[in-house]
Amino acid sequence: MAILVTKRSRVVVQGITGKSGDFHTSQMLKCRTNIVAGTSPGKGGTTVNGIPVYDTVRECVERHQADVSVLFLPARFVLDSTVEAIRAGIKLVVVVPEHIPIHDMIRIRKYAKAHGTMVIGGNTAGIISPDEANVGIIPPIAFKKGRVGSVSRSGSMTYYVADTLTRSGYGESTCVGLGGDPILGSTFAEILPLFDKDPETDAVILVGEIGGVYEESAAPTIRQIRKPILAIVGGRYAPVGKRMGHAGAIIEGEMGTAQTKLNALEEAGAYPVMNLSDIPKVLQELIGPPKG
Amino acid sequence: MRLYEYEAKELLAEHGIPIPKGFLARSVEEVTSCAERIGNRVVLKAQILSGGRGKAGGILFASSPQEAAEKAKSLLAAKIKGYQVKSVYVEQALDIAKELYIGVTIDRVNYKVVLIGCEEGGVEIEEIARRSPERIVKFSREIDEPFFSHDGVAFAKQIGFSGKALQTVAKISKAAVNIFYSYDAKLVEVNPLAQLQDGSLVAADARISIDEDALFRQGQLQKLGVENRHEEGEMTGREKQAREASIPYLDLDGDIGMFPGGAGFGIAGNDLIIDLGGQPANFMDSGGGPSPERIAKMLMLLEENPRVKAIFGARFGGVSRCDDFAKGVILFLKTGKLTKPIAMRMTGNMWEEGLRIFEEERKQNPHLFDKIEIFGIETPIAYVAKRAVELARAEERKTD
Repeated sequence: MAILVTKRSRVVVQGITGKSGDFHTSQMLKCRTNIVAGTSPGKGGTTVNGIPVYDTVRECVERHQADVSVLFLPARFVLDSTVEAIRAGIKLVVVVPEHIPIHDMIRIRKYAKAHGTMVIGGNTAGIISPDEANVGIIPPIAFKKGRVGSVSRSGSMTYYVADTLTRSGYGESTCVGLGGDPILGSTFAEILPLFDKDPETDAVILVGEIGGVYEESAAPTIRQIRKPILAIVGGRYAPVGKRMGHAGAIIEGEMGTAQTKLNALEEAGAYPVMNLSDIPKVLQELIGPPKG
Repeated sequence: MRLYEYEAKELLAEHGIPIPKGFLARSVEEVTSCAERIGNRVVLKAQILSGGRGKAGGILFASSPQEAAEKAKSLLAAKIKGYQVKSVYVEQALDIAKELYIGVTIDRVNYKVVLIGCEEGGVEIEEIARRSPERIVKFSREIDEPFFSHDGVAFAKQIGFSGKALQTVAKISKAAVNIFYSYDAKLVEVNPLAQLQDGSLVAADARISIDEDALFRQGQLQKLGVENRHEEGEMTGREKQAREASIPYLDLDGDIGMFPGGAGFGIAGNDLIIDLGGQPANFMDSGGGPSPERIAKMLMLLEENPRVKAIFGARFGGVSRCDDFAKGVILFLKTGKLTKPIAMRMTGNMWEEGLRIFEEERKQNPHLFDKIEIFGIETPIAYVAKRAVELARAEERKTD
């Protein structure tokens, strides 16, 4: 079944006529992603990669029942375009562009919550459910359908984790890139329960990195999750992060280093893993050998 | 990125927050004339992009223009917390009765804008937050929720003010929120907000940090040249060069040049190298679909870095495609400037095309590939990292 994106997802590409939108639409189609439409204001009526282009997201929803959107637009247009998708009734928006202004991201989050939409990103590689759908820019080469999920703040780490899972025979159910920007549309705490409910996922790899507080703030959720969670946190040797003044310390306390993250995750019941190559060994202990 | 104190204070003053009389000086002569203009006792404050200046000797008092000149001479020649002091803010010395704290920032867990206040401030504020959090007043607001004058009054009252000071603190807190929104700030901090012996309030120090990703809509700030700054300190020469080419890059202390794709593996790759006994010379991120020219520039940065003994490359093409990557690597190899050995792995989007581009070039110019080992998806990344560490050690033995 996978989570978030499946064969049944009806995807609209916002910014489909740009160089990046055009190229990645062709790549997503190769993975048999069900892309039903694209948008590019002023270019309605044309087609890209055989996909019909509209001026607005609303038309894509009305004519094609689109329910997932993926953005290939410059950061400065992301607030506008995400709100457009939410207003049109899209339930999942995947924000690929990076460097979204922080204030805009908080505006997006507020709007999304009020309308029951999930926003992933910005600066996400996207979401892939192998053999089902690939929404974003993830190169499918290392991915193979299986029973382990992953949720990561980094695109490149999503690829390396999948590389490891595929190589060891476990494969992946769904891999979610939360995005690398400092303020994210969705966090670990919101994705992990979806994996817990998914009958096709046996375990989850959580990939965090230094900075921010999303790993620590996931701890209460992790305590509620029944499936095993393996945690890997990048930046163990990075110099201590620069804090946001005293205000950062007042609000966030002692958080944000790889060690505080690993400690918080382990205390909540996750299994810490130091290097990618240790993942198969730990999985073997927790869920047994890969199911052929 | 962070604003210098004098820049932050200018913004505070523009928004009606009282600041002490002060001027920026870049030489001993300028300091003397500023001290003369202010009269009385002055304080000289080193303008560096780092906190904790006082304890590090970056804040000095002077009772006369002559004394100011003497102290400025040493201050302008000093490095404070590792940063060369290039300018000094000369300010009237204050007769402080009490130090307070006011700050506006983002609560990243709850996605709110928070106004923070405390009747005690200065460098002790974090200690107070830890020991007696009940003394810290926090007003949490939805983004764009209007902050009215009566919100400011309620905030000042909760901190413990009354009378005229209550009105001033209300006004200052409203102005701080205003600055936060107007400049796409991540942080606006007036600390300490000084209450003087006569009861009046002035911003004795200020820290404003701007969201670099929103600079495109901040014309006034662009003029300050803020894009060449870290949160702490200015960039090194190589970091500036990288920035001009839109390459996120940080200098580190080791000898292995890191040439990864993606910031996430950039960070984790550094861990991997250290676990294998190596030391990275830098952090780099090429993400965001770099052109072949930018790829070539990334390698040139590492080639020109005298610390680098060997280069570790890891490309997992997502939005950054392997064909562009291969073209960029070849563009660099053709400059003939490569002297350092490279071990790299390439896979991901368009990897077949990338491999074909390498093979074709190798047929025509095999000598270009003398110092470079290219691996594909069949080789685990840890093996390639280990190879890079071995190459660096071998180079080290050569120079010994």
